Amino acid sequence: MTPSTDSFASEPTNSVPAISARGLVKTFTGRSGTVEAVRGVDLTVRQGEVFGFLGPNGAGKSTTVRMLTTLTGITGGTATVAGIDVAKDPDGVRHRIGVALQEAGLDMRQTGRELVVLQARLFGLSRADASKRAEELLELVELTDAADRLIKGYSGGMKRRLDLASALVHRPDVLFLDEPTTGLDPASRLVVWDEVRRINAKGTTVFLTTQYLEEADQLCERLAIIDDGKIVTEGTPASLKADLKARRGLESDPTLDDVFLDVTGRQRERRAGEVSEVAS
Amino acid sequence: MKTVLILGERAVREAKRTPDALLPTLLIPIFFLIVNTGQAAKIFPTGSTPFLEGQSYAAFQLPATLLLAASFGTAALYLVEEIENGYFDKLRATPISRGSLAMGRLSAEALKSTLMTIVILLIAFPFGIRIASGPIGVVLLVILTAGWAVGYSGFLQFVALKTRNAAATNSAGLIFFPLLFLTPNFVPRSLLARPMEIAATLNPVTYMMEALRSLILVDLDWVVIGKGFAVVAGFVLITVFVNIKTMAKYD
Repeated sequence: MTPSTDSFASEPTNSVPAISARGLVKTFTGRSGTVEAVRGVDLTVRQGEVFGFLGPNGAGKSTTVRMLTTLTGITGGTATVAGIDVAKDPDGVRHRIGVALQEAGLDMRQTGRELVVLQARLFGLSRADASKRAEELLELVELTDAADRLIKGYSGGMKRRLDLASALVHRPDVLFLDEPTTGLDPASRLVVWDEVRRINAKGTTVFLTTQYLEEADQLCERLAIIDDGKIVTEGTPASLKADLKARRGLESDPTLDDVFLDVTGRQRERRAGEVSEVAS
Repeated sequence: MKTVLILGERAVREAKRTPDALLPTLLIPIFFLIVNTGQAAKIFPTGSTPFLEGQSYAAFQLPATLLLAASFGTAALYLVEEIENGYFDKLRATPISRGSLAMGRLSAEALKSTLMTIVILLIAFPFGIRIASGPIGVVLLVILTAGWAVGYSGFLQFVALKTRNAAATNSAGLIFFPLLFLTPNFVPRSLLARPMEIAATLNPVTYMMEALRSLILVDLDWVVIGKGFAVVAGFVLITVFVNIKTMAKYD
């Protein structure tokens, strides 16, 4: 793992970290054999920060998120979220987290309002309180006008915002956003960024996975890069860039893109006008 | 229980919004009732066929129609859809019990089956079909059929959870047809050829069918009805249990 220049400065200050993982391992066994998707991840996310979790496709980002959000069993290691052991008390964790996964999984046969109300009721709110909370959240994500339309008619950006709203019904301590802007147009992406900032400003810790380095640079106070199931570097965006500049003796300031390519040992090639990532 | 009802309410709302998925589940069983009755009614005239107990052959066929309608639940296919689009994970990330998650859609299947049974009975009554066991019999008939709907939908939901595949889930639903044809579907068990009689005796669906038929043609024969309820209770318990286990281990 590449050390960051301010690794001590970025150590959590709160006694109970929002997320803590030690030696997290996930293996999948199928007909074609055993695949080790996550191979000993150590993470500490402090309360109130926006933490970015980056990595190439298949690096283990989503599997790590699925373990932390109780959706996938942990093969090895330990993890706590909001101070609660994920393996020992998954229901306790579920009470404290909000989850918006890849592809905005929504029930297309419901209206936006029905979906948020349902989510709130599953978190124990009464019908009246759930309706009130849905109203607040739909207003927050600017979907009040579309609230009574079926979700199948929503645009990609609207679905993402609705997914965000439904993840916030119970005022979670930690919000997991798994690639929240993948597939969105630039304008919709900016709207989601604003929402994330607004949510974080209210004190919610945000754990964000993304493939967009610009997104991580814009939103995250600290980030970790995972590759091949292991964390390869961790720090603030500024510290990671400064570290690369110092290590490589670069004259110009590197971007987070350069950091990513450096630590994952990848290069970018332009083929037929498309930029693609290749292993070096 | 509260979360079961919340999820059940959502599934009912979904069913109301997709009448095109609901209509064939009513029309196909009625089609079978008409066709089977049309083909065999002359062979079994009311006056000279003791096992009809004075009713028409349509009354004898009605249990198969009810069971068929109750076996067309949509819970499993909607579940596969939710697994594929990620909404199922969203529900799994809520702090509700895995039992509620399993039972939510199944409770809606019970309600849908209840309504479907009532509609089929309302269609059948003008054609002279009577429920010999009276109002209590009607209630038992509705409960028994709804129980079967929960059990069978639970079985399909289990297949959906295991395979996460719509085609496999759909194919599993076809298992009902061989089970149906291994029952005393056209004549009482005592009139079946010996190998078929043995197969029907081993087939749990037979006891469901005989319980329903007894309610329609005879009266409150508690032994026969009891066997039907025992089969349904066992079926529901097993399918709900495996659903909860599978949900808990779902990765």
